Amino acid sequence: MNKNKTKKTILDIKNLKKTFGNNVILENINFNLLEGESLAIIGASGSGKSVLLKNIIGLLDPDSGSIKINSTEMVNLPRRDKENILLQLGITFQHGALFDSLRIWENIIFKVQNQQKISKVNGRKLALSIIERLSLKPEILDLFPSEISGGMQKRVAIARAICGNPKILLFDEPTSGLDPVTGSVIDKLITSAVNTIGATAITITHDMASVSRIADKVILIDNKTVAWSGTPKEMMTSNNLRIKEFIKTINPKLFA
Amino acid sequence: MKIIINIVGSIGHKSLKFIAHIGNFFLFCLSAISWIFRPPWYFKKIIFQVVDIGYFSLPVVGLTTFFSGMVLALQTYNGFTEFNSESTVARVVLTSITRELGPVLTGLMVAGRIGAKMAAEIATMRVTEQIDALSTLGTRPMQYLIAPKIIASVLCLPFLVFIGNTIGILGGYTIAIFKLDFNPNLYLYATIDNLQWIDLVQGSVKAATFGLIISMVSCYFGFYASKGAEGVGYATTASVVVSSVMILTSTYIITALFFG
Repeated sequence: MNKNKTKKTILDIKNLKKTFGNNVILENINFNLLEGESLAIIGASGSGKSVLLKNIIGLLDPDSGSIKINSTEMVNLPRRDKENILLQLGITFQHGALFDSLRIWENIIFKVQNQQKISKVNGRKLALSIIERLSLKPEILDLFPSEISGGMQKRVAIARAICGNPKILLFDEPTSGLDPVTGSVIDKLITSAVNTIGATAITITHDMASVSRIADKVILIDNKTVAWSGTPKEMMTSNNLRIKEFIKTINPKLFA
Repeated sequence: MKIIINIVGSIGHKSLKFIAHIGNFFLFCLSAISWIFRPPWYFKKIIFQVVDIGYFSLPVVGLTTFFSGMVLALQTYNGFTEFNSESTVARVVLTSITRELGPVLTGLMVAGRIGAKMAAEIATMRVTEQIDALSTLGTRPMQYLIAPKIIASVLCLPFLVFIGNTIGILGGYTIAIFKLDFNPNLYLYATIDNLQWIDLVQGSVKAATFGLIISMVSCYFGFYASKGAEGVGYATTASVVVSSVMILTSTYIITALFFG
């Protein structure tokens, strides 16, 4: 993907710290992301990856540090201003988090419909145009999330995230629980979605094959902080013991 | 000695947790109420809730109050015949139903049916990250999810109680006329003659209060649910138990305020 270093910084995180009670989850987190870059965040379960994501999208407030999105400081920003910034984000949650009571097309256009009232006909048209890009069948538009498979739910979640062409896309374990073939399809969809709308992407994943397919940049969260950062290629050849061990734990074949 | 310290420590820990829960609940209530008055209002969701709470609760409320009215008439008659006071059956049925039984039974039935549903729905949304998703899609969960439920509950309960009262009185009438051989005209006259505005007003105040309690408590337990399926189960049970206890507590307070 894009590696132009002259592009502007979309996300800048400095000295971020997050605790729950006396339990320190993240500390001294520093990294930035340029426009159009695709970042993969890896780390063991419970290492704080999702907590980091929730801090970025404003669902959690950090104890200290700075999170800048498009040069706007998000920490302690008034709620209304924060909401306006967050509208530029498209997020898919680990289990899809589709709204059970809404049909697929209503799920996809949810954000757009909240921002600008659109008719049912236009809403369906918009949803249809998006699911066609994601190789989903139009027949699913009127179904409820419980009536489609897990893989389809993940794709619909991606459709919901990219609807409205957000500037930043965040994916929380988009391929978890899927077979390798469907996982690969999801990766292609993410890459294509990011390229089509020119968004900057952050993906949390355990899937190293996925990392090599979708990321320009990788960071490893370990021992509460960013333990390593680099490109996927550098990661594969890294002599850093921690990252080597981490990758071996996930997929030893990559180092065979 | 160590056991005593552990017991005291455990009691202290539980007490602090309980106090924190109460504080958190009141903050939640204040926030939820403030969102009721702020646009945009999701009228579609409010209407959906009104139909669910008001219309679909009618059978269970009707059945409960009808049989309660019947039991009340029968028991009152059996008790009062010993003092030759059968003529007061209509008055006792009317007063008991409008002041206490109608509102309380309706409140408890709605707590069981709607409160449990609200808590389970919101808790499931919480544990499946749907509430987080709402926040990231330009919607405020308090405004979109909670406010319509509170508005609909407060609006519907008085109507449900009114209908429940009417059906309860009808239950008493049915027994009085068809089993106890009362004169229909005299029974009806006694009922209407003893009907007091203050009873209806008090019943409506109770109903609206119960609506507020049921929706607030259920939404609170649902909103702060955790630990997956177990958390959903806990939220559902806790919402029904706490709502029921609060209904029975508040009915005394309101009665004392009106008639104390």
